[in-house]
Amino acid sequence: MKVSLQREFNASLTIAARDVLRYIRDWKTSLLFSFFFPIAFLGILGGTIGQNLSAGLGYDYMQFALLGMVANLLVQFTMMGVTSLIEERENGFTQEIFVSPVSRYSILIGKIIGGSFAGAVALMALFVVAFAMGIPLSLVDIGRILLVCPIVFLLGGAFGVLLCGIFGSSPKGVDRATIMVMFPQMFLSGALIPVKNSTGMLGVLVHLMPATYLVDLLRGVFYQGSPVYGQMILYNPIFDLMISIALAVAFLVAGAHLFVRSERNR
Amino acid sequence: MLRTEFKVSGQDHEPVIHVENLVKRYRRGEAAAVDGLSFDVRPGEFFALLGPNGAGKTTTISILTTTLAMTSGTVSIGGYDLDRQAKNVRQSIGIIFQNPSLDLNLTAEENIRFHVCLYGIYGYRPTYGLMPRSYRDKVMELAEVLGITKEIFKPVKTFSGGMKRKLEIIRSLMHDPKILFLDEPTTGLDAVGRASLWDYLQKVHREKKTTIFLTTHYIEEAESADRICIVNHGKMLFSGSPESMKSLMVGNYLLLDAEDRDSLRGELAGFGPEMMEDGRLKVRFSGSTPQNILSQIKTPLSFMRLHEPTLEEAYIDLVSSGQEEEEAA
Repeated sequence: MKVSLQREFNASLTIAARDVLRYIRDWKTSLLFSFFFPIAFLGILGGTIGQNLSAGLGYDYMQFALLGMVANLLVQFTMMGVTSLIEERENGFTQEIFVSPVSRYSILIGKIIGGSFAGAVALMALFVVAFAMGIPLSLVDIGRILLVCPIVFLLGGAFGVLLCGIFGSSPKGVDRATIMVMFPQMFLSGALIPVKNSTGMLGVLVHLMPATYLVDLLRGVFYQGSPVYGQMILYNPIFDLMISIALAVAFLVAGAHLFVRSERNR
Repeated sequence: MLRTEFKVSGQDHEPVIHVENLVKRYRRGEAAAVDGLSFDVRPGEFFALLGPNGAGKTTTISILTTTLAMTSGTVSIGGYDLDRQAKNVRQSIGIIFQNPSLDLNLTAEENIRFHVCLYGIYGYRPTYGLMPRSYRDKVMELAEVLGITKEIFKPVKTFSGGMKRKLEIIRSLMHDPKILFLDEPTTGLDAVGRASLWDYLQKVHREKKTTIFLTTHYIEEAESADRICIVNHGKMLFSGSPESMKSLMVGNYLLLDAEDRDSLRGELAGFGPEMMEDGRLKVRFSGSTPQNILSQIKTPLSFMRLHEPTLEEAYIDLVSSGQEEEEAA
């Protein structure tokens, strides 16, 4: 049993290490990609909203947007790292991974860890953009963000597994689904636009977005003890954490089950 | 014909692959892609599964290598049940896919390292230098066999097609599989690359006694198989040695001609070998020898050629006659 678990762990580590190595080998494109989204969404979109629409909010909008983008981009990068499994399935080394004597869960966990690396680089890029824009960020603030990151990576990866399970039969299908999932999360999770006062159908959609709970958790931990806490937080961070873990477990189990089934039952 | 030396070892053993009444219906397919296929492969055997496009070869190999679920049937690989012990089956086999499965951005050594770590032979280490000595020695030994000692740390994308295939074979043998599945392994290689790859495979088969399961479109690659199985529309048309198929479908014959063809024809008709006119006189000699036939001919010959059928001829005969029967039905 111990040997078997060790072996599965080794397989996950190998798969993750390969993704990290590929990222480093292709560092120019990878870095460009990692910096593009922080610059586009935080620097340009967030910056424009901050300059033109944030007057009278009562808190630092750019700091608010930074936290929203941390949650969203980390989810997005980890999710894309996992769904690359489908793109590569028909060709290349992924074929080799699928016929190796390791559990499908180990493969998926390896992809989540590998995808998290790209997310971690995107996080660094966000910090660089934040410093460049003069967004206030202390070491304690960074520590608080890093504390929440593991659950963000986990839910992002699990989301990717779910997409692989549902749309895994075609690489195009997964790509389209990723985009269709990404944008509503971005706009409805409160990443860039406050959603505390959303009502009606939009209010319902806000609460259906998994990223909403991650964004809220991140802000809840970040602004703990701050006077602006009550102005933007939707739920208690413990509740956000529980919802995020429950969603991650559900996505991972259901996604892995559907993925294994769709892989062999064609 | 590429090779003749492959010979089966250990024919008396239990089959290393046992397939019984295998059926596969795709969800959106009307007819079964594999329709009641049954065969056994013995340890150390070189087995070739042949058939035209859409015959069910890739479906069969995908099922046997656990990447596709069967609709019904019983399959055991290396003594393990395919359905219940898929992980053990995967441990027992090596696979060369139709499409290359190397990571082109990684070096040859990294490709090998990721394989052995995935198969649990060694724990993962981030660099070659940190891997155990036994691994490093093995990699260098393999690099020498391939003649890529200098290139082993270069990205695979700089390798030729033939070299990549050899690297895949070396990698797939790192975990000492009982069976090596080769799904059209020479597709896309030039003649020199194909010949070189087969030289290498022959050596592997001879030295390691690995069972080889081949699907190919190049029928001559199966000439040296111990046994071939021809499938079409998911059903088996023939199973046996290449020799038995050749004699069954085409047979050996003499092509003869003479200035006085009538006289030659009369003579041949007189002592009775099976004969047909196909430009020249085609004289079968099954049950006799060419010497026996020639010694009875008095008419001066203007042309004589001994024809030994190739597996490809026999294959074309078999598949075409199957299609004609289907059309007639």
